[in-house]
Amino acid sequence: MRMTDMQDDDLDRLLAAAARTAQTPSEALMERVLADAFALQPAAPELRPAVAAPRPGLLARLAAALGGGPALAGLGSAAVFGMALGYLSPTTLDYLTGTATDAAEFFPDADFLTTEG
Amino acid sequence: MAFDAGGDASDEALMVLYANGDRHAALALARRVTPRVLAYAARLLSGDRAEAEDVAQETMLRLWKIAPGWRQGETKVTTWAYRVATNLCIDRQRARGRKRQLALDDAPEVADSGPGVEGRMQEAGRTAALEAALAELPDRQRQAVVLRHLEGMTNPEIAAIMEIGVEAVESLTARGKRALAAILSGRKEALGYEDDGHAG
Repeated sequence: MRMTDMQDDDLDRLLAAAARTAQTPSEALMERVLADAFALQPAAPELRPAVAAPRPGLLARLAAALGGGPALAGLGSAAVFGMALGYLSPTTLDYLTGTATDAAEFFPDADFLTTEG
Repeated sequence: MAFDAGGDASDEALMVLYANGDRHAALALARRVTPRVLAYAARLLSGDRAEAEDVAQETMLRLWKIAPGWRQGETKVTTWAYRVATNLCIDRQRARGRKRQLALDDAPEVADSGPGVEGRMQEAGRTAALEAALAELPDRQRQAVVLRHLEGMTNPEIAAIMEIGVEAVESLTARGKRALAAILSGRKEALGYEDDGHAG
């Protein structure tokens, strides 16, 4: 049958031959396409020198040298505790540490303040 | 020009470069995509060069516009371009109510000034006949046949362009080829197949 012959054989050759021929763009078309491309192209971002980060202050640098915020918090707590220990009398320390023999004598060193004569 | 069509850079990478202001990327993309879109549009538009050039330029114009917002990895640039060109061709055909009925009468007469010329003219006549037959196909069948058999694309690529499934592509190309054969079967003698048998 002729139709079948065309489909199976001649048509394939016809298509293959047509596939080998293609219209190619003219210079004028390429110029128009490129003109559009350049007209619509976003401008390249300008290169700017990187802004220097502000130099940290003396305290900030000192804090950083000591290990930052958490380290400073620990250091502060230790300082306060040390000062408290320094102000407390030895007896109180004995009481706090469990070595006091008489718990009732809380501030014996202050007795002279209440006695007359 | 010394700069070839983008070297090894992918089309998608060139889109990013273009959007960043790289003029070489614009040139490379234009050289890569424009010829393909033009050839495809010419085939869909029955060889009308002026209209095919308009479609190619409009497709590229849309490509430049979409480049800054191009989403990497979603669609290939060529797939997107073919899709846009397809829609532009359909719009043009519908707007002008055009369904070219190029008959073999419109094909060049076979010249008798020499065997080489005769062969070329006969081939031109066959191409014109094929274009005329393609123009008679329904839009979707024509697109599928052109993409598969003239643009040499795979079925998955065609499915992506036409936004349909692979099975639908297979069905469209099969039906399109059958319809083409039916249209052309009555013109075999004029096409020269009766004379040279299966040689040509």
